[in-house]
Amino acid sequence: MAGSDLFTGSLDLLILKAASWRPMHGYAIGRMIRHWADGVIPIQEGALYPALHRLERQGLLEEEWGISETNREAKFYRLTPSGRERLRDETARWKAYRRVMSAALRADRRPQVA
Amino acid sequence: MRRPFRFGPRAADAPEDVRREIELHLELRTREFEEQGMSREEARRAAEAAFGDRREIESEVRSLRGRTVRTLRSRRWFDELRQDATLALRGLRRAPLFAVVALATLTLGIGANVAVFSVVRSVLLRPLPYPDAHQLLAVWTDHRSRGRAEPEWFSPPEFIDYRDGNRTLSGLAAYSGWGPNLTGNGDPEMLTGGAVSWDFLRVLGIAPALGRDFEAADDHPGGPPVVILTDALWRRRFAADSGIVGQAIQLNGEPWTVAGVLPPEFRSPFPWQILRPLRRPVPDPCNRGCVTLRAFGRMRPGVTIEQAHADLVTVAERLGREYPDEHGGVKPWLIPLQHQLTGPVRGALVALMGAVGFVLLLACVNLAGLLVVRAGGRLREFGVRAALGAGRGRIVRQLATESLVLAVAGGLLGFTAGTAGARVLAALVPPNVRLVTDVSTDLVIVLFTIAVTVVAALLFGLLPALQGGGTGLMSVLRSAHAESGRRVGRMRGGLVVIELAIAVMLLVGAGLLMRSFVSMQRADLGYRTEGLLSVAVTFPRSRYPDPGTAVRAIEGLLARAGAHPEIRTIEATDQPPLAGGGDQDIAVFPDGRALAPGDRAPGLWYRTVSPGYLRLMEMPLVAGRLFTPDDRQGALPVGVLNEEAARQLFPDGNAVGRILTTGLDSTAARITVVGVVKTARPDGPLEPVKRELFLTLSQFPARGVVLMVEPAREAAGAVRAVRETLRELDGEVPLARVSPVDELYAGVTQLPRYFAMVVGAFAVAALLLALVGVYGVMAYAVSLREREIGVRLALGAAPGGLVRWLVGQGARLTAAGLLIGVVAAALATRVVSSMLYGVSALDGVTFGAVTLLLAAASLTACWLPARQARRVDPVEALRGE
Repeated sequence: MAGSDLFTGSLDLLILKAASWRPMHGYAIGRMIRHWADGVIPIQEGALYPALHRLERQGLLEEEWGISETNREAKFYRLTPSGRERLRDETARWKAYRRVMSAALRADRRPQVA
Repeated sequence: MRRPFRFGPRAADAPEDVRREIELHLELRTREFEEQGMSREEARRAAEAAFGDRREIESEVRSLRGRTVRTLRSRRWFDELRQDATLALRGLRRAPLFAVVALATLTLGIGANVAVFSVVRSVLLRPLPYPDAHQLLAVWTDHRSRGRAEPEWFSPPEFIDYRDGNRTLSGLAAYSGWGPNLTGNGDPEMLTGGAVSWDFLRVLGIAPALGRDFEAADDHPGGPPVVILTDALWRRRFAADSGIVGQAIQLNGEPWTVAGVLPPEFRSPFPWQILRPLRRPVPDPCNRGCVTLRAFGRMRPGVTIEQAHADLVTVAERLGREYPDEHGGVKPWLIPLQHQLTGPVRGALVALMGAVGFVLLLACVNLAGLLVVRAGGRLREFGVRAALGAGRGRIVRQLATESLVLAVAGGLLGFTAGTAGARVLAALVPPNVRLVTDVSTDLVIVLFTIAVTVVAALLFGLLPALQGGGTGLMSVLRSAHAESGRRVGRMRGGLVVIELAIAVMLLVGAGLLMRSFVSMQRADLGYRTEGLLSVAVTFPRSRYPDPGTAVRAIEGLLARAGAHPEIRTIEATDQPPLAGGGDQDIAVFPDGRALAPGDRAPGLWYRTVSPGYLRLMEMPLVAGRLFTPDDRQGALPVGVLNEEAARQLFPDGNAVGRILTTGLDSTAARITVVGVVKTARPDGPLEPVKRELFLTLSQFPARGVVLMVEPAREAAGAVRAVRETLRELDGEVPLARVSPVDELYAGVTQLPRYFAMVVGAFAVAALLLALVGVYGVMAYAVSLREREIGVRLALGAAPGGLVRWLVGQGARLTAAGLLIGVVAAALATRVVSSMLYGVSALDGVTFGAVTLLLAAASLTACWLPARQARRVDPVEALRGE
């Protein structure tokens, strides 16, 4: 599948975060992620949609139908309660992961291992 | 954000949805690039490039979407179901009266079916408790070509020919009755047992739990005298002592060695306590004409009953050729053992299942009526829901769920009630219908309950569900309360007509069965049954080797007991009436003449009796005289015929003074007919009459007799007197089977009484249900018409006339129901006509009585709520709407 340098798990987390404020359709979510990625990591934009649908199937997102900027009926994605829970858990894990990596990679000298 | 109203994803929309989603993305991305300054075409190309391989992504997403939609739909379906069920339960809680009535009705209907099915199953459907019981057959001979309607027994040589000459049976076993006196430890007791061929237990497939089975060597007259005990006898008389095997016990004064004890779970097809090998003497004095053995066999694996029959027919034909006098024209008669043992009960149980099915129908119709009214009251609710977008299917599903919740609750309650009821039904079954094994609850009963519940749910749930779903918004807006109410009322009226019809059918059925039972009770059997006791006594060969000494002992007993103050009269017979089979017969030659070629010697059923027996039994004399004490050993051998025999043997007129011989040679007995008595029914009212011959005990001795005792005061004293007299005569001979003769007769009618009671109970339940239905319809109609009634009252109508008018409406329903019911009953009772005695299936009295009863009850049920019409306040009625 056309991938990106982002691990699939990371993409899922970004999607959940993007949808956490209010229901958004696929394009809007994609733009927010691109905004965060800031050109640093290249993203294959189409890869978003399989991810969105997978999350919906897992019950972390649910669909809502609304009117888009083009005045047409469009599918919006909303976080479900279990999606919110997953977002919380994954965020906590990422923070812990980052702490570990930062601490390890910041060291100038070889650390004392007890 | 504005939201359009969408019902939910549909799998068919998946490809289109996906395409549109991606198209939107590309459209918006293109705009973004345009804002950065690109032209439309450049922006579009950039957007597509940034997206990736559209086709691949789209197809992947499409399949994902399809699966998602399906998951979402089923989850939503379950949520809705749970919602509906919760709503239904809440609705029931809010209407407790309705809930109680509905559940009670369902419990009655389902429970009754479960109870009856449990009993039917353990009697009829469960296989006999022997391995491969479907292979077991009862084997008889078919003498219908010789004028004998019933299956006939075997003679010993005939049995051996069948046993050795067949190819389709893995075993054929014979048996006959045996009633030895057990003496030794404890009181002397007369046992009920069987003399069997050595392979009897093997053919059944049972082995003794202790000791050994019989072997071929045991089945010879010179072989060791061995017996096998049943578990019950072993525990009761021998204290479950396992050392009994190999010990000798005293039977009829002779030692018999106990070879084995049967397992406790063994259920003999016959009520025996002890078994011995037949040990028929060789040469057997009971020759081909003397039928004394019954038989059953086991088919080889894979053999069908038709094949077995054809095989045995070849044996029969060969015998017919070799012994045309005895076996000519005789064929085998095979009956699966299960049918044989359950035969008398089969038809009645099937009819019972039919009756209880109608009760369920009635209960469901009643419940449907209740639900229809309830749904009618909720029409507004449904209309609003429909306006809010709930599809018709959704509403129907909600109503169906409500019915389902009721049905499940009713099913659970019905199962509980039914299994308890089954035990009660089984306990009430008269003890002489032997094979009611334990009525246990198992998977089959559970499945049956589920099936019945589903049927019930469909029956009562369908109508209201369809009714609710058909509601349109318009009818609600038209405020058509009264109109829809009338429609509901009509529907309910129709249902009540059905209920009344069913009640009529069940009541007629019960009435017929009850009248039949009553006429059986009152039937004139042709002999006395009241105020008599029967007592069995056997004088064993060991102490009375010569039959003459046994008869002298009997005569002595009769004389001394007859003189006892506690006894008014005492007589004896070797074959009492109402003994349930085991009669003896003999072929005779009228006037001692040889027969025309091709004729068979007619058979007579005979009994030997003491001289005063016929008088005691009040059998009316038609010609000649009864026996006297002068008709004894050494005097002219005499006999008394019944009218049936006299007419058939001597069609040309007077039978008195004529001769009957038992053979054509000089050694045959010559009997002079001295009297003719009126034909009686010794086997009970349902059995056909027979040709009978009475002989005297002193001229034709028997060892075992049944004493007929007429007490001077009361039964206990008379029995004591007999026992004392017997003990003075011979302390080793016990009395057995003491019972009042009218109880014996009641025994014959027990089964019809049981069925009459059970069907009667169902009929009463049906009547109550139907009356509740009628009452409900009337009450509803009155409440609907309150306004109309108020108007009439205000206009000066007499309240009494109003009530009459309302009742008149109810009377029309009643009449319709009765008419349909009577017609249906007339058709249906044909089914049970074979079980009826002395009353026809179209008995006018029963039909008339049921019609009157139901009409009166139904009109009362109409009148009660109609009375409420008097109390209607015209002002209130006109005001409220």
